[in-house]
Amino acid sequence: MRVSKILKVLLLVWLAAVIVAAFFYVHAAEGFIGESSRIVFFHVPMAWIAVLAFLVSCIASVMYLRRRDPKDDIRASVSAGLGLLFAVLATTTGAVFAKIMWGAYWNWDPRQTSITILLLIYAAYLALRGAVDDPERRASLSAVYAILAFVTVPFLVFVVPRIYWSLHPDTIINTRGANEFDSRYTQVLLASVLGFTGLYLWLYTIGCRIETIRQRRRQEVLDV
Amino acid sequence: MWRWLSEALAVAAKDLRTEFRTRVALNSLGLFALTVLAAVSYTVGPYRITAEDRPFLLAVLLWIIVFFAALAGLDRSFVKEEESHTAPLLRLAASPHAVWFGKLIYNLCLIYALMAMLVPLYCILMGYKIVLLQSFVITLVLGGYTLAVVTTIIAAIIARAMTRGALFSVLSLPLLLPLMIFLIQGTTGAAEGTPETVTNTIRAVLSMGGIMTIVSGALFPVVWSD
Repeated sequence: MRVSKILKVLLLVWLAAVIVAAFFYVHAAEGFIGESSRIVFFHVPMAWIAVLAFLVSCIASVMYLRRRDPKDDIRASVSAGLGLLFAVLATTTGAVFAKIMWGAYWNWDPRQTSITILLLIYAAYLALRGAVDDPERRASLSAVYAILAFVTVPFLVFVVPRIYWSLHPDTIINTRGANEFDSRYTQVLLASVLGFTGLYLWLYTIGCRIETIRQRRRQEVLDV
Repeated sequence: MWRWLSEALAVAAKDLRTEFRTRVALNSLGLFALTVLAAVSYTVGPYRITAEDRPFLLAVLLWIIVFFAALAGLDRSFVKEEESHTAPLLRLAASPHAVWFGKLIYNLCLIYALMAMLVPLYCILMGYKIVLLQSFVITLVLGGYTLAVVTTIIAAIIARAMTRGALFSVLSLPLLLPLMIFLIQGTTGAAEGTPETVTNTIRAVLSMGGIMTIVSGALFPVVWSD
């Protein structure tokens, strides 16, 4: 209990330091309007965590189909929900950047198209969960859909943006395999990714605990 | 292996025989496609789009009609088994993989029948000229195959859920959107005469179809037997 409290305080301090560093430690990058380049410290971690959360959801779904442990189903659904939340945040931060750089919040750039489809896929996953009453059947059907959903992620993240011409700045893992950030940018970006990953893990743990309690309560009511 | 294949072919033959008896799915797909084509042809027609926009915009309209028509009838393959309470018997009669493959063949027949009727009619009514005909046909065949693979597994999922009506489109369309993007790009390339674009599309559709086939085939027994 004490360790988790210390970790929570550490996480808050870490994220506060990242925010301060994003605005005061690095200079605004050349080639970008005003201070818009600083959004990279928030936009990239959000997109990274969205993909990580969808990956965790896929792995938990595979584990459920292997072990049939209801906890794996809870892990899959909580992670998919968090992935959806972080995908919305990545879309919002991206839209703010698009407004500053290109004059419009939304222009159906391939990256925007891809993330919209991802949002729709995982919203459909949650819709499927709501459409099945029997817990075991719900768990197995949504596990299958979560795996199918994750199969499309490489196409959306890597193939669609390469088929259409995109305004989106080169991703960190670009086609040339080179990191074009200066050292301060890299330091703050890595710290931000680490901090937000910690935040995801914290939210994930809380979400799993809440869902476990909720299911136990539902079972108690049914037993009575 | 041969037993498995004969079981799958028997499932497909049974479905096709039932379909020709009632024609529920064929009528849904065909009439939906024809009605939308009539509406598009009347409102847009062959001359309202400028020559330079035609390859792309007509490809968009073509694939929207194909995808939405497919979503209007392809869920029948599994839903009818649940509605007529024949699913338990089918579970006893054939292995899950044979059922999946049989249903896939059935859905493929429906999609290719729809395309054979719709695409020539669309090209005539909308004045859609295709420069690379062979590439266009390959794009249609591969697109139809991937569409059938995705809709078959989703149809199996929704047949096991409570609310079936809208759920099929809700679950299928997001998964099919990347495919739709690839196919629009490839069809535009075939209409413009740019083989490079078509090659890129064929690669993307082939890989998506391949991965979806493996994943769907592996996961189907879970959906079918649970």
